[in-house]
Amino acid sequence: MAATAAAVVTRPIAPEQASLWSDAWRRLRRNRMALISAVYLTLLVVVAIVAIFKTPYSYRAVGVALPYSGPSAANWLGADILGRDVLSRLLVGAQISLIVGVGTQVLVLAVGVPIGLIAGYYKGVADSVVSFIINVFYGIPDLLVAMILLLLLGPSLNNIIIAIVATRWMDMTRLVRGQTLALREREFIEAARASGAKPLKILFGHILPNALGPIIVQATFGVPAAILFEAFLSFLGIGVQPPTPSWGSMASDGLAAIRIAPHMVLAPSIALSLTLMAFNFLGDGLRDALDPRSRR
Amino acid sequence: MLTRGTLLYIGQRLVLIAFTVVAVSSIVFLGIHRLPGDALFNEHLHGTQYELLLHHYGLDKPLWEQYTSFLQGMFLHGNLGESLVNRGVPITPLVLRELTVSVEVGLFALIFTIGLGMLLGVVAALRQNSWVDYVLSTTSVIGYSMPSFVIATFLILLFAVWLDNLTQGTFYFQIGWTGTYGSIGEIWLPAFALGFPYASIVARLTRASMLEVIRQDYIRTARAKGLRETVITIRHALRNALIPVITILGPLVIGIITGGVIIENIFGIPGLGKEFANSILNRDYNIVIGVFTMYAALVGLANLGVDLLYVVIDPRIRY
Repeated sequence: MAATAAAVVTRPIAPEQASLWSDAWRRLRRNRMALISAVYLTLLVVVAIVAIFKTPYSYRAVGVALPYSGPSAANWLGADILGRDVLSRLLVGAQISLIVGVGTQVLVLAVGVPIGLIAGYYKGVADSVVSFIINVFYGIPDLLVAMILLLLLGPSLNNIIIAIVATRWMDMTRLVRGQTLALREREFIEAARASGAKPLKILFGHILPNALGPIIVQATFGVPAAILFEAFLSFLGIGVQPPTPSWGSMASDGLAAIRIAPHMVLAPSIALSLTLMAFNFLGDGLRDALDPRSRR
Repeated sequence: MLTRGTLLYIGQRLVLIAFTVVAVSSIVFLGIHRLPGDALFNEHLHGTQYELLLHHYGLDKPLWEQYTSFLQGMFLHGNLGESLVNRGVPITPLVLRELTVSVEVGLFALIFTIGLGMLLGVVAALRQNSWVDYVLSTTSVIGYSMPSFVIATFLILLFAVWLDNLTQGTFYFQIGWTGTYGSIGEIWLPAFALGFPYASIVARLTRASMLEVIRQDYIRTARAKGLRETVITIRHALRNALIPVITILGPLVIGIITGGVIIENIFGIPGLGKEFANSILNRDYNIVIGVFTMYAALVGLANLGVDLLYVVIDPRIRY
């Protein structure tokens, strides 16, 4: 009671001027699922970085335990078909997933933001062309195109990222285009134009910062989509090539031995599901925090 | 319903689909044939044998000649060539058979998606904030963020391993198909795994639009007239609640076609998706081209089907 009274007294009478970002941070902190997800993802990143230097066993060391042996004190998550430690492989797989997820979104931002800005700002022919291409890409099944691209380029981590970007860049482009179309009519853009700002300055100095909230949210949702995509490709055997582990290929290996060693398929499946869910919850939380007016 | 305008529209769309199929298969054909000739064969072959094979598949000719003969074969005879790995196996009948298998699985998944999704959505809307509603919103989050192969894995674990062990083999789900086409007993689990993520999306959409519709005045009028609740729900509310739901049919169908690639590989279904993944792994390039051509046609026709369905469901739409 006394504490509440003290809090009331010490609180300044006029509310502090809160910036958009600190306001958003305050709202995000109140969202429990988003916070738990953020903690989980931070842990995942830390673990993935630590796994670069140290894993319980080498991810490619064969026969560290009996093939198909279940979880034990020495191998927490058991061993796979060649007696490799599943936990170590899971940790290295986390690296692959994070590299693909984040790398893809960086490239998607690099492609989608400029194209979206130009299409939205200049309208006319540029916009028609971009919109047409976006619609064409939305009409084709992304997984099939990525599979063909990987066949032509050859399966490597870089090519996987390129293939995913080639089939998933439209989401960001469409979002940025829409935001730009709305923002370009606002008074402060008109003011900037009237004061003689160059288009480049208007696009990146005035429009982009104001569209940053939705872009961040979109990128957060894009990461799990890319991770899932990589898992699909690796599951089919055309993604990350052995001996490098990926959650998708580990699940595919495990599925073949599901009757005798269910831990082999459960470990990567659960890790993948948790990670995807965490990113989705974080994205939901960020959306609510950055744009409180929008309701699902 | 089948006015002259609609028929004309269908005709235009079919021409467009044909163009897309040609464009897609050309891109894939040219892309693949840019790879060196050796890449087109699995084994290491030498001398006369290699020359003979190159000649047999027409790979010794210049690229444009190969391309024109490919197009000619496709158009005049519906011939997509011959498998590079299983020599002498013509691709067209193979791919057509697999297409029907994939369509069978996809249709089951679609019926399941829409049926279950709508049922759950309606129930959740009518019993808003009840336990049904909460269970539904939780499962829909799971369905939405769990990859289909993880769902499939859990289903296999549940039905083919644990239930089998528990009932000492009385209940046993056989993974893989015995014939070309699956029986109901074989198809329900793959269809469920394929449709579940989309069913949860449909359920969420149905719930939201039902909640909006059942608060409208004409529903109150119907109730005041003394109509039975089931009649109000199905004839009056659901029909209008369906309109937002059908807008996602297009992406849904594409999603089921794409997801089928994964599900067919997991459950060992001899469809187009399994063939596609296998042919890429085996580097059977001719089959890759054939399957991808089929997929282009399938996607085009499925989209056309969805657009025509709009006319049936919502009479305000005309083409």
